[in-house]
Amino acid sequence: MSPPLIGLSGILVLFVLLILRVPVWIALLLVGFVGNAVLLGWQGAFALAGTAPYDVASNYSLSVLPLFIVMGEVASESRLSGELFKAARVLVSGFRGGLAVATLAASALFGAVSGSSLANAATMTRMALPELRKAGYDDGLATGCIAAGGSTDILIPPSIILVIYAAVAELSVAKLLAAGLIPGLLLTGLYMLVAVGVAYFRPHYAPDREHHTWRERIAAMREPWQFIALFVLTIGGIYAGVFSPTEAASIGAFGAILLGILGRRMGARDLLRAIENSVVVSGALFVIVMSANLLSAFIVQAHLPELLLDGARAMNVSGLTVMIFIIVGYIILGCFLEAIGMILITVPVFQPLIKTFGYDPIWFAIIVVIMVEVGLIHPPVGMNLFVIQAQAPDVKIASIYRGIVPFLLAPLVLIVLMFLFPQIALWLPKALYG
Amino acid sequence: MGVRDGLLRLAGRVQRVQLWLAVVALVALMMVTVVDVFMRYLFNRPIRGSFDAVEGLLLIFVFNSMAATFFSRRNIVIDIIDSFIPRRSSAALIRIADVLSVLVLALLMWAMWVPATQSYAYGELKQDLGLPIFILWIAALASLVGTLFCAVAIALTRLPADGSLTAERPE
Repeated sequence: MSPPLIGLSGILVLFVLLILRVPVWIALLLVGFVGNAVLLGWQGAFALAGTAPYDVASNYSLSVLPLFIVMGEVASESRLSGELFKAARVLVSGFRGGLAVATLAASALFGAVSGSSLANAATMTRMALPELRKAGYDDGLATGCIAAGGSTDILIPPSIILVIYAAVAELSVAKLLAAGLIPGLLLTGLYMLVAVGVAYFRPHYAPDREHHTWRERIAAMREPWQFIALFVLTIGGIYAGVFSPTEAASIGAFGAILLGILGRRMGARDLLRAIENSVVVSGALFVIVMSANLLSAFIVQAHLPELLLDGARAMNVSGLTVMIFIIVGYIILGCFLEAIGMILITVPVFQPLIKTFGYDPIWFAIIVVIMVEVGLIHPPVGMNLFVIQAQAPDVKIASIYRGIVPFLLAPLVLIVLMFLFPQIALWLPKALYG
Repeated sequence: MGVRDGLLRLAGRVQRVQLWLAVVALVALMMVTVVDVFMRYLFNRPIRGSFDAVEGLLLIFVFNSMAATFFSRRNIVIDIIDSFIPRRSSAALIRIADVLSVLVLALLMWAMWVPATQSYAYGELKQDLGLPIFILWIAALASLVGTLFCAVAIALTRLPADGSLTAERPE
């Protein structure tokens, strides 16, 4: 059996294991280990399996991962999302669909201190959904806003997914965090347009009556401005080259804890719960990144990217056609794989391929993350949709599915814009880091 | 109290200790970096060896965090199949995954043993702190022993009859 065929068989086995409920880390590690053993011999496979866990666990650039998770967990425990939502609903009141736009704005702002889409969707469901329903909003529109808003978290820095992507693809964390900002803000804007559009064409879905004076709007910023300042300090610090990502993440986590404790938003018990939860979540992520190292080595040894490249050349297809196939592939994968799994399995295969066709790997990373976002919100298995349903069991899943459909248009428009204007993702990292 | 309950209770304590070690390592990692930044920008005197310290603390954090993750069954799983097969079949798949967890963790420990001994034999040191690297390997392997013990205990627990597909565990 040739190495590429062994590689394809390995990927097939991997999918079967994942569908059979084998934990992601085990599936990646088993396929990577056995695949490496077949291609390199048992000694080579053991050598890789022995060093990968140590290398990952002592990788300085990966220390941002638990720190960003702490920052997000502390922000959740200190009820920041509630403050952001209250402020946003006052700031953008006075037009139909205003509360939906406020939900999206609060989600994006929460995303500026939290890197987890699921945490964002869960918190915003608790904070915003009761208010949206009280205001007479349609359940579908309300949950659609929350699911879509939550998904922007993985583009807007600090993003845990982007950090993992950087580790897998061997790209600069700082450059990826810079590349995600403008597409993240643009996507939030597109989601807002969708929400206003739905409210315009279905006025009974969004019967807004709130209106606030400018004095009230300025006063509304009193509570959450400190957290926004923290975002500017940490992420702005990375962009300005003042801090490394690890330093910024440490200051961000420390600052969030200080703001939570000094502002009496959380007690010692809440803080402990936040840190303990960060430990458990980090453990689950790190063990996956360790296993992904073995899988990546196997994919390289099996020459899978070369196989795809030869196939594309034999069919005489253009780079654009390849990208369209990849995007369609991500939509299909998103139906049954979760975010990290999608990235870990596909990036080592696709990145060398798209580089050969002249696409920038940073630009491609943002395209992949947008597609992962789509996977988080598109039926039937969008994780954000399930998180919302778990938090609000009285909302029918059919309403949630119906509500998210118009929002799916926004990331697809963003993808088209990214093809037309790659600078959306590339300008900021180029301007900051050359 | 049966042997299985006793094992589970002991595993609960082990993961709790490791959870605390991970918390301490994470807080220390954060503080070392924060203090280093302050010292560098305010007094132009960065902490010597902070890079090595962060790497070492991260390693202690990562390997100790795994015990709590395994003990609370928080590893990421794609459970889409649960909607299509009977609960009994899902429970069987969980059991298979539990056994695989134990085997794969044991495999990792076995594989890590060789580079750990090599690190000792070569006398490798952390560049700035001068810390022998084999100490970090020992810390990693010791943490993995705890994680393996938690994985064994979880594999031996009963799955509840309420359909939650989450094993019992002492709080």
